[in-house]
Amino acid sequence: MSPPDLELQLRRIITRGRVLVSPAQLAGYAADGLGYKNYPPDAVVIPADAEELAHFMRCAAGLGVPVCLRGAGTSLSGGPVAAQGGVIVHTSGLRSVRTVCPEGFWCEVECGVALNALDDVLKPHGLFYPPDPSSGPVCTLGGNIATNAGGAHCFRYGVTSNYVLGVEVVLLDGRVRRFGGPAGGRGPWREDWKRFMIGSEGTLGAFTRFWLRLLPLPEKVWTFRATYPDLRTVEAAIHALVAHASFPAAIELLDPRGVAMVESSQMACGLPKGSFMLLTEIDGPGVLVDARVSAVAEILRGAGSNDVVFSDEEAMRQKLWKARKAAGGLLGQLSPDYVVQDAVIPKRALAEVLQLVYDESDAAGLRAVNVFHAGDGNLHPNFLFDSRVPGELEKVELISKRLMQRVVEVGGTLSGEHGIGNDKAAYMPMIFGPDEIRLQLAVPAVFNPTHQLNPLKVFTGRRFAA
Amino acid sequence: MNVATVPTPTRAFAPFLDEIDGTLCVPAESSAADIRDQIGEHPLRFPLILDLHATLEEQVAASAFAPASSRFGPYCDNIMGMNWQLPTGQIVRIGERVVKSTTGYDWFRFLLPTGRRFGQPLDYVIRLRPDCGTTGIFLMNGGAENVARSAGLLLRNSWMHWLDAVDVVALGARRTLRVTVHCPTAEWDIFATYLGAFAAKQGLALEVQPDTAMPADGCPDVVFKTAPEQVHALAGELARTAGVRCVALCYHGVVHAYLPESAERPALVRALVQPHIAGLHALGGDWHSRHLAPPAPSNEEAGWIAILEQAFPLP
Repeated sequence: MSPPDLELQLRRIITRGRVLVSPAQLAGYAADGLGYKNYPPDAVVIPADAEELAHFMRCAAGLGVPVCLRGAGTSLSGGPVAAQGGVIVHTSGLRSVRTVCPEGFWCEVECGVALNALDDVLKPHGLFYPPDPSSGPVCTLGGNIATNAGGAHCFRYGVTSNYVLGVEVVLLDGRVRRFGGPAGGRGPWREDWKRFMIGSEGTLGAFTRFWLRLLPLPEKVWTFRATYPDLRTVEAAIHALVAHASFPAAIELLDPRGVAMVESSQMACGLPKGSFMLLTEIDGPGVLVDARVSAVAEILRGAGSNDVVFSDEEAMRQKLWKARKAAGGLLGQLSPDYVVQDAVIPKRALAEVLQLVYDESDAAGLRAVNVFHAGDGNLHPNFLFDSRVPGELEKVELISKRLMQRVVEVGGTLSGEHGIGNDKAAYMPMIFGPDEIRLQLAVPAVFNPTHQLNPLKVFTGRRFAA
Repeated sequence: MNVATVPTPTRAFAPFLDEIDGTLCVPAESSAADIRDQIGEHPLRFPLILDLHATLEEQVAASAFAPASSRFGPYCDNIMGMNWQLPTGQIVRIGERVVKSTTGYDWFRFLLPTGRRFGQPLDYVIRLRPDCGTTGIFLMNGGAENVARSAGLLLRNSWMHWLDAVDVVALGARRTLRVTVHCPTAEWDIFATYLGAFAAKQGLALEVQPDTAMPADGCPDVVFKTAPEQVHALAGELARTAGVRCVALCYHGVVHAYLPESAERPALVRALVQPHIAGLHALGGDWHSRHLAPPAPSNEEAGWIAILEQAFPLP
């Protein structure tokens, strides 16, 4: 379909929302958080509401072009981009928190609600929604559920899939189906189809609303920061923390290269040069967590830190978090491009796999900064490079491949919270053999057999043929 | 996609205990005692035990939830992976041994509660938790309304994160709020002081069973999944039926119903369930009984299942 024809068709379908076709408008939709890979869409539509989104989906087959759902576009895996061209459906029109039921510990929200906006609504009820990816101020719940997002506090609280009670989805033919609901069961279905929807990366249908499980806010939080001279000691601290009765909510790590990055910036906070920074947090009723403070501090010291700082005061706690929170933003200042990987490994392999990252990146002459969720074994090595320099991207891809091979060998997996997108799709045969791949592809065969929804994602062979 | 061109890694889980991650791979036919034996001297535990004698597969098939789900979530959040035998005999690995994964479609959570409709589990990778020292049960007896209100109060504050289970046991008109605590021995007094004061304030008669085991009510005969705000009304209504004992897992809106021994159990299950089906479905809830086959899927769902079966052939 020629661009003018596509625009004409879209303007007939989307009458209350918006249709974007000018190059300047489309430029903002060409990439996600992986800014170095650009896939300009042919058009963008912003349905006014769920009804118009369903109408669009009913008409989508007739358009004969790929359709890609997109929330805030903060994905770090090349997920919500028009990798095969076509139309991006931006869900920013669906941003209502419809119901909060404090007695039932659930809420009903539309897919375009920003994560932190939900928590602002929940706070007066004394409740919170635990998944907390660092893009919280802007990322949408639709994107979170599409990627089974995690965050710093998932070590104790778990990831998105632990909190989704129900999903309403518009299938490719416009049928609206609800899987689960406030009760979080199967509803009238024999099987629990919502399980496939969570983490499906926009390949099975268009989400419109969700029912989410909530928890009461912890009464009190203590934050601890400790620095360590080497991998061996910091690994010992992590292993001791994960086994401790205080069940830390978060165990985060910034490596010496990350510490150096922070300390050479305006966000410097006095961390010792060459150190690993470990951040952990305990929460709960005041009388209980206060009783645990000295035991946690002792674990941190016992593993080899003589620099343990902790506080339950909000301002000081934010100070302790400062380096960890600043790290993500600073990466973009150090280098024109960066790739962040998302592997999860058994924690006994932590030191070994980190050393592999250092050895490989040093040998290739690339900088690598590690800032990650150590409690979950969820690595985020950031490889810094310049995609304009010939060969640099290829070096990063080679290192990433070797890293993923080792991750799989030690019993880990490719992605913990970012999703596969098109960035990691080529690695899927490392995880899945032919039988497993056949099973995997049976899922889109049910809901999206032509691969019109988000083609070339998750599995490289998912290509849309109009 | 031409799957024949894809390499075939053999990644089936071999038995293991990872005491650092707190993960254990055990046969699906393992009992609670078998799991304890595998853990050995390591200070770890698997808190989601419904029945001391049933196999883990039987427990998972009987209900998605156990009392300790209040703190740790359902079975699908405490089992991370499995070796699964397809109806064709092939064994495939489903899921992971690490706690986080967004790697492809979540066949693991889809298959786990399906019993043997799509094959069968051979081994599970389960998530263990630190064994902190001591377990105790606080039984608080009172009127139905008071117990229901008290359970809500307990769940809506910061303590709920640290209570292994907050259940209401209902039999006829009797109601007991059953709170299970697992904590370091040194912290027992903190919990006992808080829960003692709570019971007194709510006017509930308190009985404490210190240093005991997690409650294991057995595999339920019927499981109802509703929204948490409906759970007390549902349990109360079910418990009015002669001889039916209900355990309401309050935070998740689950009612485990235990029926009297009888050859008429399937008929009794149908009679118990029928009045509630429409209401449960409207909330996205469901019911399940190990004594009855699941209802037939709708035509639409049967079509979806048929497509899955092409990749996953049934006998």
